[in-house]
Amino acid sequence: MSGHTDGLRPPLAAASRSLFGKAIQTLSRVSDDLWLDPSEKGLALRAVNSCHSTYGYILFSSLFFQHYQWSPSATMRDNDIPMNLNCKLAIKSILPIFRCLNYLEKSVEKCKIVSRLDKCRVVFQFFCKHGIKRTHNVYFQDSQPLKILFEKSLCANILMIRPRLLTEAIVLLTSNQEEVTFSVTPGNFCLKSSSGESLDLSSSVYSEMSFDPEEFDFFQVGLDTEITFCFKELKGILSFSEVMHVPLSIYFDFPGKPVVLSMDDMLLEANFILATLSDHPSRVSSPQSQSLCLSQALRRTEPTQSSAQVGQSQASQAPESISRAAPKRLFPKDPLDSSCATETKRASTNQDDISEVPESVVSDMEEGPGPSQLRKFSCMFFGAVSSQQQEYASHPLDSLAIASDSEEDWDTDRLERAGLRVPAAMVSQSQGIQQMLQAEKPVAKKVSEARK
Amino acid sequence: MKFRAKIVDLACLNHFTRVSNMIAKLAKTCTLRISPEKLNFILSDKLASGGVSMWCELEQENIFSEFQMEGVSAENNAIYLELTSENLSRALKTAQNARALKIKLTNKHFPCLTVSVELQLSSSSSSRIVTHDIPIKVIPRRLWKDLQEPSVPDSDVSIYLPALKTMKSVVEKMKNISNHLVIEANLNGELNLKIETELVCVTTHFKDLGNPLLSSESASQSRHPEDMAEVHIDIKKLLQFLAGQQVTPTKAVCNIVSNRIVHFDLLLEDISLQYFIPALS
Repeated sequence: MSGHTDGLRPPLAAASRSLFGKAIQTLSRVSDDLWLDPSEKGLALRAVNSCHSTYGYILFSSLFFQHYQWSPSATMRDNDIPMNLNCKLAIKSILPIFRCLNYLEKSVEKCKIVSRLDKCRVVFQFFCKHGIKRTHNVYFQDSQPLKILFEKSLCANILMIRPRLLTEAIVLLTSNQEEVTFSVTPGNFCLKSSSGESLDLSSSVYSEMSFDPEEFDFFQVGLDTEITFCFKELKGILSFSEVMHVPLSIYFDFPGKPVVLSMDDMLLEANFILATLSDHPSRVSSPQSQSLCLSQALRRTEPTQSSAQVGQSQASQAPESISRAAPKRLFPKDPLDSSCATETKRASTNQDDISEVPESVVSDMEEGPGPSQLRKFSCMFFGAVSSQQQEYASHPLDSLAIASDSEEDWDTDRLERAGLRVPAAMVSQSQGIQQMLQAEKPVAKKVSEARK
Repeated sequence: MKFRAKIVDLACLNHFTRVSNMIAKLAKTCTLRISPEKLNFILSDKLASGGVSMWCELEQENIFSEFQMEGVSAENNAIYLELTSENLSRALKTAQNARALKIKLTNKHFPCLTVSVELQLSSSSSSRIVTHDIPIKVIPRRLWKDLQEPSVPDSDVSIYLPALKTMKSVVEKMKNISNHLVIEANLNGELNLKIETELVCVTTHFKDLGNPLLSSESASQSRHPEDMAEVHIDIKKLLQFLAGQQVTPTKAVCNIVSNRIVHFDLLLEDISLQYFIPALS
């Protein structure tokens, strides 16, 4: 078991530096933390927001860098499966480094990023004009990245549009409300600002505009639907996609199922998965207080189920007021296979699996985190199911996103401020989650010690 | 009740947008009165506005290329609506380079003023239509009496105002010193803005402003031209009025009724604005 890693060392070239900086800025709007997740495919940046309604994943392929070197740090016990770098950085630490995009392009000649596991830090070195060299040592937290796998191509509705068109249109929505709605039929795309349900005068203006399908580079509507999601996130994503100079692809289905906004060019792939409001019949209160994100379908599934997309009913633990989509089985695989398969899958297909985490499994401390854990995600909002509920995947809630931020994520105050209400039942369940996580921590330590 | 109107001329559209922006700065919520010949933006002197009232009038045919309305009844051929002024101005702001703008009264789930903007697409020759539904409240007839044109009081002094931007910058600085401002003027073309605290007293003098001819001869004759008529007002209200003035008015007159009320009478091209600030009690 090798203990040392030189990690990754990608010097960045010219305009790609500012693109990298812009990626960090875009993800900084999503969350306060960022995972640096290198693999042989390239360097991925991942972020999820505190209420788990937005997940951003930007993969810089190894070709993006002038020089990219990644070696797996340690291998797991007897399996020959490489351990990923579990590196979580505070956005506060790296955003200032990449804040000035102009500077990055003009004055910086080369940017080098090296991770040093032994010292728990990532080193960013800027080789600037006039022989100036700036070095930033950023300490990281040991935390397994949240990986969400989502089968984009199975969505009923797939649209592709030049981001400029959407950006210009969004300016015309006068409402300063938090949500935006896409409403599609085969012949029409309608962009709406979400209506408040109160009838008083101060309720915002409700605005709407239509696009002709011809304005899209690709327009496939298999399902007449209306999805509503966070406006603020859309703006940030559009701004990034304009910098990328590629069309924006939008994948969605029925309300409640997350929408994926993605941009793909040869060197870089960005995906943003946003939760959408679901069309629950009992929804009475204003959109904001609804479960934008919290669909807590927790159920263990059987590994041997077939690959067809199977809708499943939810576990009864979920509180009534939370509406959720029926979970879908995306990948039916044998866990062992899938872990390898997913690791080596091409970045561009990005077939991500969503796992559902059983609530009641007791974690088995002895086994240590298995590789499939890397693909586990407490599917707070996707409600999808994967076959990877294995005993050896013993951490029931690899609620990876919750792990390091622990208390904060379920801070009801923060959620309320964000316009979301967390029902009491939810909170107490999450507290149960916290307790289980506390128990998990010693294991994580063991692994990192082993690496040293 | 029905109302639909259309603007196709860009200059008229910009003019209407400017008026709407001004109203949004002067009153958070206001009443829109629609009658066959005119549109009025009204703020009546309720407690909520601290006694301030506003009456803005425009001739519909100067703005709209098409205008149809049907009031509550034949005898009461008017529509009174309450709306949040900023909603209208923001909706109009999206119409900056529009080909056409339509406004109509609708009832989609709740009564609205629907503003529909037809914009030229930059990429092609076709246009995109953006609609904004502005929620409104219809004001019942029994409340109409409170929303009539305020009678212009017999003023003691009537004087032309100096440059409003200058007044605004002066009053803005004074606001930090005191809440209480004295506005006084005489028939000799002099206007003063005064504030006074224990420590300091600041006065700004404007001279050679000119006085419009007063209609009632007797009042002006008995009054010595040097005599100042003054009113003590809340400085914030004056500042709000001045902040709303983005364009230089065609005509701006200030009428003072000693210790009672100050009345600003502005003409912005063809649109008239009257603003009343009562004396502090």
